Amino acid sequence: MKSLFAPNAQPTRLVFTSMVIGQGLILLLLWLFYPMQLFPSLGEVFRSLGNLITTQGLIQELWASMTTALQALAVATVLALLISYLTALPFFRPIAYAASKMRYLTLTGLTFFMALLVSSGHQVKLSVLIFGATVYLVTGMTSVILTTTQEEMDHARTLGMGEWRSFYEVVVLGKLDDMLEVVRQNFAIIWTMITLVETLYQSEGGIGLLLYKQNRYLHLDGVLAIQLVILATGALQDYVFVLLRKVFFPYSTLGHA
Amino acid sequence: MTALPYNYKEPLLTLSGISMSFRGEPVLRDINAQVLDVTRPGMNQGQVVGFYGRSGIGKSVLCRIMAGLIAPSAGTVEVGQAQQPVAPGMVGFVQQRYPLFEHRTLLDNLLVAAGRKYAPAEARQHVETYLERFCLAPHRKKYPAHLSGGQRQRAAIAQQLLCSDHLILLDEPFSGLDVAMIDELKRIIVEVTTLDELNTVIIVSHDIVTTTALADRLWLLGYEHDAAGALVPGATISPRHQYNLAEMGLAWHQNVEAEPEFAQFVEHIKQEIRGGLILNN
Repeated sequence: MKSLFAPNAQPTRLVFTSMVIGQGLILLLLWLFYPMQLFPSLGEVFRSLGNLITTQGLIQELWASMTTALQALAVATVLALLISYLTALPFFRPIAYAASKMRYLTLTGLTFFMALLVSSGHQVKLSVLIFGATVYLVTGMTSVILTTTQEEMDHARTLGMGEWRSFYEVVVLGKLDDMLEVVRQNFAIIWTMITLVETLYQSEGGIGLLLYKQNRYLHLDGVLAIQLVILATGALQDYVFVLLRKVFFPYSTLGHA
Repeated sequence: MTALPYNYKEPLLTLSGISMSFRGEPVLRDINAQVLDVTRPGMNQGQVVGFYGRSGIGKSVLCRIMAGLIAPSAGTVEVGQAQQPVAPGMVGFVQQRYPLFEHRTLLDNLLVAAGRKYAPAEARQHVETYLERFCLAPHRKKYPAHLSGGQRQRAAIAQQLLCSDHLILLDEPFSGLDVAMIDELKRIIVEVTTLDELNTVIIVSHDIVTTTALADRLWLLGYEHDAAGALVPGATISPRHQYNLAEMGLAWHQNVEAEPEFAQFVEHIKQEIRGGLILNN
């Protein structure tokens, strides 16, 4: 137990798991026995969750949002990787710099602009998400590329690799696991954006619109139920990404403290 | 100690008038040195040469120039029997922290290096030979992060040997190693130089004892004063600080460090260093 409060300690797996379960239980008990006036009880949230699933198609809406999110993430990842890798050429560096700074643009303004550019509602939603995710991904990915050291590049060069081959070996192949980590971290941003975009552009529904409706009619139990569903989905996604990293890049966590 | 019989043949590495400045500030000045192919009767005898310099004097810059990774501000580096201008990949360069591709297994690290010179089947054969000779065979499937310091060191040297053309440059190879690991590395260096007559190991180090024990030629980097007594910026190698250890009888002897002549020579070098290696023109 002492190890839980010692700096940089490494508690055993059993101790750590027990601690996490304990913390979860305390949180649950607090929720069960000390309900705040404005905060719906656990029972109400569960009832609302059941209602949302049976009468309002929560699962279908979640699926719709998730497929859109994954679609956007896939396109944004390809775009961001391309923009980031092109920073090897000085000509393209201003583009990556500008793309990174564009994360300060507001989504509301973007939605209107995209609506003028593309025809269908789905396209608007998708393009806004792709844009939003790309600019965040470019920021993370260029930071990863900047961690490349002269020693790493020199090592490749001394093996007779040309500049492009060295870049491919050291930056593209060598940092693919870090890029996946950037994608994992930024996937959460897509969920933040998707709920907002679905609210702004309501023609296609989605979990964001469902959340908006629950908010609008002050169904706090429904709001909490949807938030918990999003939280669980996000946690599951995180787990899948960690699993992918372990499977495809087994070296990535070796030697970490 | 008696000098063992030897002969010199053609040059394998020539540094001519190497100078290097960064933003107008000279780091290296007019460095001249030549490594000749040394031959000994009845055996394969590669070359081990040492460049000694104090910390911060510009040794790593000299390494990068010799490896063809940066062009000097003035002068040329020519390598091989054909004395061609150096280009990246011609000189194997083992950097101080023994970099390897962390995303590749040991076997892949060696294969990617061997693939430069050999066809796939031949490359695999060469890699297997090196894995065996460097006692790395049981670790072939490990990623570099799983290798011990000594294994990593051997892997980095093997990787460079697999794709370089006989010349291999070691930057501060003894830095931070314990006695056992230094002995292990010395064994590897001797092994490398006996693999092929033309194999040449260039040690750039501030460990004077170990470098001298291994080398047959030694150069000391230092600063000079001009006629007016002012310090001339940029480290150089004066004619006085070029030592032919083969001629002095200090090369290729087993356990040379235990010999009184060796101790005397090392003491002489230390005196030079304590004097700041500042020479008067």
